[in-house]
Amino acid sequence: MSYTLRGRLESRLAAALLPFAVACGLAAVLGEWWPLQLAAAMIGVGLALDATLYHRLLPYQPGWAALPLGLLELGLTVALVWRFDVGAPLEPALWFFAGSWLLAQVLAHAGLPLLRLTYTDDGGELGRGGRALSAVAPATLLLILGVAWAGQPPTVRLGAGVHEGPLVLDRAQRLFGEPGAIVRGGIRIEADDVTVRNVTVFGGEIGIEVRDSENVLLDRVRIAGASMDGISARRSSLTIRDCKVDSPSVAGAQGIDISFAMTLAPSLVERCDVRGGAEGIVSHLANVAFRENRVTGTALRGIAVTEMSMGEVEHNVVEDAVGVGIFCSDYSHCAISENSVSGTRVDPSGNPTRAGHGIVSYFGAVAELDDNQLDREAAAFINGRFERP
Amino acid sequence: MTPRCAIVGAGLGGFVAYAMLRHGGLEPGEIAVFGEDPDPAAAWRVRAAAIRQRRMRSESDGHCFPTTFPGLAAREAARRRTLSPLVLSVCDRYRPSVEEFLRHVDELRDRCRWDESFREARIERVRGVTGGFELDGHAVVRHALLALGHPGLALPTELEADARVVHAYEPHEYGSKVAVIGAGMAAATEWRNALDAGAEVVSVRRREPARRPLNVPRPLFSKRGLASFRAAPRPRRVELLRDFSAPSYPPGREWDAPLERAAREGRFSVRPAVNGADQIICATGFRRGFRHDPLLSRLVEEHGLETEERWIVLADDCTVPELSGGGRTLALAGVPSQWAYPAADTLVGMKYASRRFLQLVQRCPTR
Repeated sequence: MSYTLRGRLESRLAAALLPFAVACGLAAVLGEWWPLQLAAAMIGVGLALDATLYHRLLPYQPGWAALPLGLLELGLTVALVWRFDVGAPLEPALWFFAGSWLLAQVLAHAGLPLLRLTYTDDGGELGRGGRALSAVAPATLLLILGVAWAGQPPTVRLGAGVHEGPLVLDRAQRLFGEPGAIVRGGIRIEADDVTVRNVTVFGGEIGIEVRDSENVLLDRVRIAGASMDGISARRSSLTIRDCKVDSPSVAGAQGIDISFAMTLAPSLVERCDVRGGAEGIVSHLANVAFRENRVTGTALRGIAVTEMSMGEVEHNVVEDAVGVGIFCSDYSHCAISENSVSGTRVDPSGNPTRAGHGIVSYFGAVAELDDNQLDREAAAFINGRFERP
Repeated sequence: MTPRCAIVGAGLGGFVAYAMLRHGGLEPGEIAVFGEDPDPAAAWRVRAAAIRQRRMRSESDGHCFPTTFPGLAAREAARRRTLSPLVLSVCDRYRPSVEEFLRHVDELRDRCRWDESFREARIERVRGVTGGFELDGHAVVRHALLALGHPGLALPTELEADARVVHAYEPHEYGSKVAVIGAGMAAATEWRNALDAGAEVVSVRRREPARRPLNVPRPLFSKRGLASFRAAPRPRRVELLRDFSAPSYPPGREWDAPLERAAREGRFSVRPAVNGADQIICATGFRRGFRHDPLLSRLVEEHGLETEERWIVLADDCTVPELSGGGRTLALAGVPSQWAYPAADTLVGMKYASRRFLQLVQRCPTR
């Protein structure tokens, strides 16, 4: 088909109507903005490419070109989503894009030519309907983006240099650090919808303390010099990504601790590097997922899911732990798969449960094991048990 | 019921227009189709058989249905329960078979009740009268579409009396030494046919043929390419139309390989003149220009229509400006409407003219 520029834009907008309506519905049902942000990114990328690239380069567009062009649009949409931190879950977002793309193909090849006899003759233009769409679409987009922007928490930027803490974040906000931004004395979060990104926290008793807060994101934070825990979350639901935590070698110090959150949405810790401390990453009475983390040199346990927690422990690397590499305890249910545990050493206390085991299931806990790489065996104590697929 | 619209010409162009009017809600009684054979594919069938055509040059959209979708590829895919026609179609490689094409013509002929509107009559004169057009004493209608087809086969004048000559579009067999004059689609088909029949073939051509998948570049089938064509000054527009009319056939190994093989065997050559052949096949297409068509020639003369060389100057919607408006419409479809749509002699082109004609009929308060 040989589209005119107007035809491309009008066809694009017509094909975006249903996905946009679905995104509105999803946003309303989920109470989240990401469906609309995703739809806006997808439509925006398409319109921008139509206007700047496709029209110039493609005087005629064969049917097969829809596939590579769709992949290009997908790539740019993903880039846009990452750039603007749209919190869209990957799989639903991909399905949404794929469904929208497919709908656009069906409309371009079948639906619109059936609805409008001169559709192909007119290079994809939709007559009065198209003109109405072109008029309404920018206004709608601006309205939605305006509402979305107005609903966003404020952003606070921390400049390079040392900022005296502790900082208390007691309302929704985004705290973004410039390169070299350091907070001395810790951060305490006491509100929902808080994001902390690119901040180094030095000193204090606890590096970042999260209390009674949901939808918290700690992204690319670095903790060092805290006298006890690196990150401590109580009665909270949060995501911690790409962090670095150096814990002190004192009894009771934990790299990341998520506790007392059984009734809240699951928390996630991924791609973090935790060094030292008694326990590297630990949960008490919480729903958690620990993925792709690296935990080294802990004095008590590398990763622990305890006290009736439910946890997924996947693709982690635990090295040089004393006593236990991965610990599932106190009636917790743990799915432990594809982890690598090595260099675990025997605790000199002589406690048989701490004899340098790769994985331990303890006190009524149930641990499902699948494809873990262990250089020391897994062991169960006091009604702890293992299940294997 | 008195017909409100007339289609003069009952070939494929008239048939496409009729299907379009029916799709637009007109009843068979509201349309009169004038022609000499009730089979809309009659003339085309003879020509296709003469050149042993097996596949269409057109693609999935080259059909007579009023809506673009579903095209022939989708229909064949559904009928044969295979995705291959659709895959070929998205790659612009789908060429419907002649059999598939004729099947859909027969199917559509029944479905749109073509025979109810068909009137066996040869219209030789169309005259503008108050509020409409008088069709050679057969009817007076407000809206008329002239789908007259090609005005006869073209033969080089110097060969008209030569007993060895046959036109490619007339039934014929092949001699042992065959000269094929021309370099378009029919010529390319005849080179292969004659070689397959064991003949020695000489291609006589004045210029190298253009190699393009369709009659004209693809953008010219839609508003995008048409906009620049129509914006061109008249001399340039004429030049472009001449270029588009130059012989061409599709690129591809299926065309080239048999010729290369035959050339290596000494059975195929290109020469500037006919020399020593025992059969001369003129794949020289059709006569060109409105002057070869008595009806159009008379129409131009009687109503002082504007012309440019061999083309009647039409509005962008394929209507004759001097005879349209004020509640009446005279439009051309098929090759005489090239001034408005360069690919007018294709099925897509015929549909283009028909859609505009339908819009004008629908907009007319009295129809």
